[in-house]
Amino acid sequence: MTTHMKYALYPGCLMPTEQYAYELSLRESLPVLQVQLVDVPEFSCCGEPMKSVNQLLSLYLAARNIALAEQQQLDLYAPCAMCHLALSECKHILDHNTAMRERINTLLSAENLTYTGSQQVVHTIDLLYDHIGIEKIKQQVKHPLKGWKLAVHYGCHAIRPKEIGRPDDSEHPLKIEAILRALGAEPVEDYPEKLDCCGAPLLANLPESALTKTGQKLQAIQHHGIQGLVDVCPWCHKMFDARQTKAGETIAAKLDVPVFYLTQLLGLAFGLPAEKLGLHLNQSPVEKLTVEGGA
Amino acid sequence: MTIVDLTSMGEPQTEQQREINARLVSLQNEISSYCYQCAKCTSGCEAHKLLELEPHKIVALLKRGLINELVNSDIIWTCMTCMKCRERCPQRVAPIEILFALKNMAVASGKQIPGKYTAMLQSILSLGLIQDIQQITTRMNTTVKRDELGLPPLSKPTDAQKFQAAVMKIATEKV
Ligand code: SF4
Ligand code: SF4
Repeated sequence: MTTHMKYALYPGCLMPTEQYAYELSLRESLPVLQVQLVDVPEFSCCGEPMKSVNQLLSLYLAARNIALAEQQQLDLYAPCAMCHLALSECKHILDHNTAMRERINTLLSAENLTYTGSQQVVHTIDLLYDHIGIEKIKQQVKHPLKGWKLAVHYGCHAIRPKEIGRPDDSEHPLKIEAILRALGAEPVEDYPEKLDCCGAPLLANLPESALTKTGQKLQAIQHHGIQGLVDVCPWCHKMFDARQTKAGETIAAKLDVPVFYLTQLLGLAFGLPAEKLGLHLNQSPVEKLTVEGGA
Repeated sequence: MTIVDLTSMGEPQTEQQREINARLVSLQNEISSYCYQCAKCTSGCEAHKLLELEPHKIVALLKRGLINELVNSDIIWTCMTCMKCRERCPQRVAPIEILFALKNMAVASGKQIPGKYTAMLQSILSLGLIQDIQQITTRMNTTVKRDELGLPPLSKPTDAQKFQAAVMKIATEKV
């Protein structure tokens, strides 16, 4: 197989500055599926974290990043759900509102950039499910995640708002479960808290409440007897994995849920070494599944 | 020019305020014809149980034109931006958009921005990103940074001045 799918990797802020396990695992596992990732210099924040402060600033930042990829004639792959929303929403606005597009382009001209709308934006979910496809993923599985009973957290920003087109359905997302089945795992398709927020958007100004949200969801997953949680966003993962102990303290519960990036599980099932997938960087007890689970 | 111009504590940004106000007025007109106070938005709101945010009440207050009261209230900063209200409203009203406009207005009027927003904005200005490379701890209690993991250099604006100039323009622009 020589046909490569080529994307500009748009890393955003959080993944490349602390959520290294996501970046490591996607850089390892996607090439197995003939995806070529191109590093583009000069990217900045996607703008999403600034929406509450100044929406025009958010729009400008998003457009700036898309324009950089357009210069290289590459579609963008944004692994972060927040980034993916910012870029998709920006595209939606600038492709439909010429006055706003001109206004943003006037600002972009200071850096000799122009937004034209020529390139597309994908996230991990649609890249794997829609562009690569379940069959191709199945073909690469060497170590099926047999017996792994997993819950999926999609992340609000990955599935809403429907109106602008998102990687999966806003109320009944099921693509990640299909991918997990292809890897040999046993995803739980539905649990009452499936669409509950991870809490991350409140981290900036109401951290206690943010952690309460995180803890409540993890506690519920634990109660259901589910063995692990899978996510596809550095913000969600930061909450569920890195902040799990703190979240437990906040709600006065002992939390013990292994949390993985989907791309880490992809790599494990493909037979890639755990270290290359950044599994030593997960703060949650992943060995409960990676060792006892037999992968 | 400094961060003060872009955020709170400085002169209120009248140009921006005018623009956000226009946005709020058009949202107000919209909801006046569409929102029938069914409270479906509140029933699914992520911030409802935990922080007592009631998006249908935000909508009702805006309908009555109480923009100042809303802008000055802390409750607008409890929204988790989950977008469920926008998704589930039978009348295609988007309380979350109202909340964004209200928060933007609070900032443009020189109100203090809560929490870490100022620090994030400052970091975007100086670095292009909300934070710089962090040293993290592995589960085996060793510490690592991105280059030690064999990851390529961080993508960020190299001409910080040029980048900053454009961002500053947004703060003060009169387009
Ligand atoms: S905004 Fe929509 S969901 Fe909320 S009360 Fe009004 S009509 Fe009902
Ligand atoms: S976006 Fe905000 S207001 Fe709307 S449902 Fe979510 S938390 Fe509530």
